[in-house]
Amino acid sequence: MSEVLLLGRRATREIVRYPEATIPTLFIPLFFLVVNIGQVSKTFPSSTPFLNGQGYVAFQLPVSLMFAVATATSGLALVTEIDLGYFDKLLVAPIRRSSIIFGRLTADLVRGVASSTLVLLVGIALGARIETGIAGALVIVALAAGFGVAYAGFGLLVALKTRNVQATQSSFLLFFPLLFLTPNFVPFNRLSPLMETLARINPVSYVIVGMRGLIIDGWNFGQIAVAVLVIVGLGAILTGLSLRVIATYDR
Amino acid sequence: MTFETTTYNSSDGFVVTSAADATAIAARALRRTFKDGIEAVRDIDLTVSAGEVFGFLGPNGAGKTTTVRMLCTLLPPTSGRATVAGLDVVENGAEVRRRIGVALQEIGLDPVQTGRELLELQCGLYGIAGQAARSRAAELLDLVGLSEAADRRTKTYSGGMKRRLDLASALVHSPDVLFLDEPTTGLDPASRLTIWDEVRRINAGGATVFLTTQYLEEADQLCDRLAIIDNGRIVAEGTPEQLKAEMGHDVVSVTVEGADVAATEAALSGLPGLERVVAEPGGLALYVDDGAGSIAEIVRRLERDDIRAGAISVARPSLDDVFLRATGRRLEGQESSGRDAEVTHE
Repeated sequence: MSEVLLLGRRATREIVRYPEATIPTLFIPLFFLVVNIGQVSKTFPSSTPFLNGQGYVAFQLPVSLMFAVATATSGLALVTEIDLGYFDKLLVAPIRRSSIIFGRLTADLVRGVASSTLVLLVGIALGARIETGIAGALVIVALAAGFGVAYAGFGLLVALKTRNVQATQSSFLLFFPLLFLTPNFVPFNRLSPLMETLARINPVSYVIVGMRGLIIDGWNFGQIAVAVLVIVGLGAILTGLSLRVIATYDR
Repeated sequence: MTFETTTYNSSDGFVVTSAADATAIAARALRRTFKDGIEAVRDIDLTVSAGEVFGFLGPNGAGKTTTVRMLCTLLPPTSGRATVAGLDVVENGAEVRRRIGVALQEIGLDPVQTGRELLELQCGLYGIAGQAARSRAAELLDLVGLSEAADRRTKTYSGGMKRRLDLASALVHSPDVLFLDEPTTGLDPASRLTIWDEVRRINAGGATVFLTTQYLEEADQLCDRLAIIDNGRIVAEGTPEQLKAEMGHDVVSVTVEGADVAATEAALSGLPGLERVVAEPGGLALYVDDGAGSIAEIVRRLERDDIRAGAISVARPSLDDVFLRATGRRLEGQESSGRDAEVTHE
């Protein structure tokens, strides 16, 4: 466990010392948030039924939160480490290989909490109101950070599998379809039948729905449980695969 | 045949080690074939005694790094076996990693951390925590002369500083066996000498050192024993003195200017005391009983056949000659280990 904390502390230090790696990942979601609201706020005034009296910013906020936390930053840091040779130094140390993965994920948790808190605060500044109050806001941050950790496993997997910086960098693009095949602009029932079907089978939708419920509608423990299930499931699959690949790396 | 027993198997000449005996590294029929079919290491046997500085000399691509990676548990052998500190590298990988220090050819430093942070983290990974880690890091920084740069990020370090820090990071846990893969490649001569001093000091402290190098002088200066590896095979092994002594006698280098090397070789065949002729770029190396005494006869024969020779020089054999005899070619990219330098030394 102490190995994970040591490696996690190092990875977190890296985030603080390389703000240029984190700032773009925050710029994009904040940019989308402002632009999307600007474009459709007249189409969806606060009288729109699914907004429950709030501005469109409340509806869009979960999407921006997802963008803010779903990054390939950890994967990039790992593949850079492989490239530089420091990864070999870690492999030859008497530590469990899984610690290298969990150390990276620890930093993802820290980054996820910081990024989602910032985006949430910007959303509130732009007029969103968290229906479930501070407790709800904490759950939203936890869900977003948890999703960030789960998703980071994908970047780590690509980094370990390809050992290629460009491939790891572009792996982030794979998240775009997953984020857009969701009820990101309107609820499920306002989507075309095909899009609704796709959105309903896309597990990412349920994380957005869970967070959105906490902002707009109030406590819905069923929705939250489904969101948690998706996050845990995704995390288990991607982290599990990364652990398997690192365990057999060059073996 | 189990590998981790404590018996000494003299019938096949392979020392199966225990922690108590004096063999630090042993390999038998160690082989690594990569997926693309490249046979990087082909059935090498070697035994390194505890406390030795053992050198692995060879050109780029000879199989040095692959061997080190197998011995360090980073790469599994395709076949064959190896023990380090008495432990099988495949079956007891975790325990081997606890006993060894490794500085690979690719300097393994995290550019975002400072030298001190990196060493303290390295201590932590080896179970040295808190004040003990801080003291050990400070001690090692002092040892490798990096105390002043300790709180700068490693990306600001020069090549020599990075090598020294990498070396320090391999020493945090006072390993029994230290692997150094081309520790001075790319360094300026002054930094190279500093690393040599460090290696000698580490070895004097009791650690066995296994180092790879493509520098003849490094092998000559640092190693108690060495093996020459070429094309994945060990082609010569012994102390530098033994290897040179096995060459016998003198080496006369004849530089041929524009003349046919084959014709020159024909002209010199049957030279009294000639043991061996090896063609090399631009000339011939003649291994003779009496170098100085042969020059007159060499010149006479070349004049007889109307062959224009450039320079003719005589020297004692160097490791380069050993390499040439073992592999049929010279080790490329040498800087200061030619025969003339050898004459000056001896």
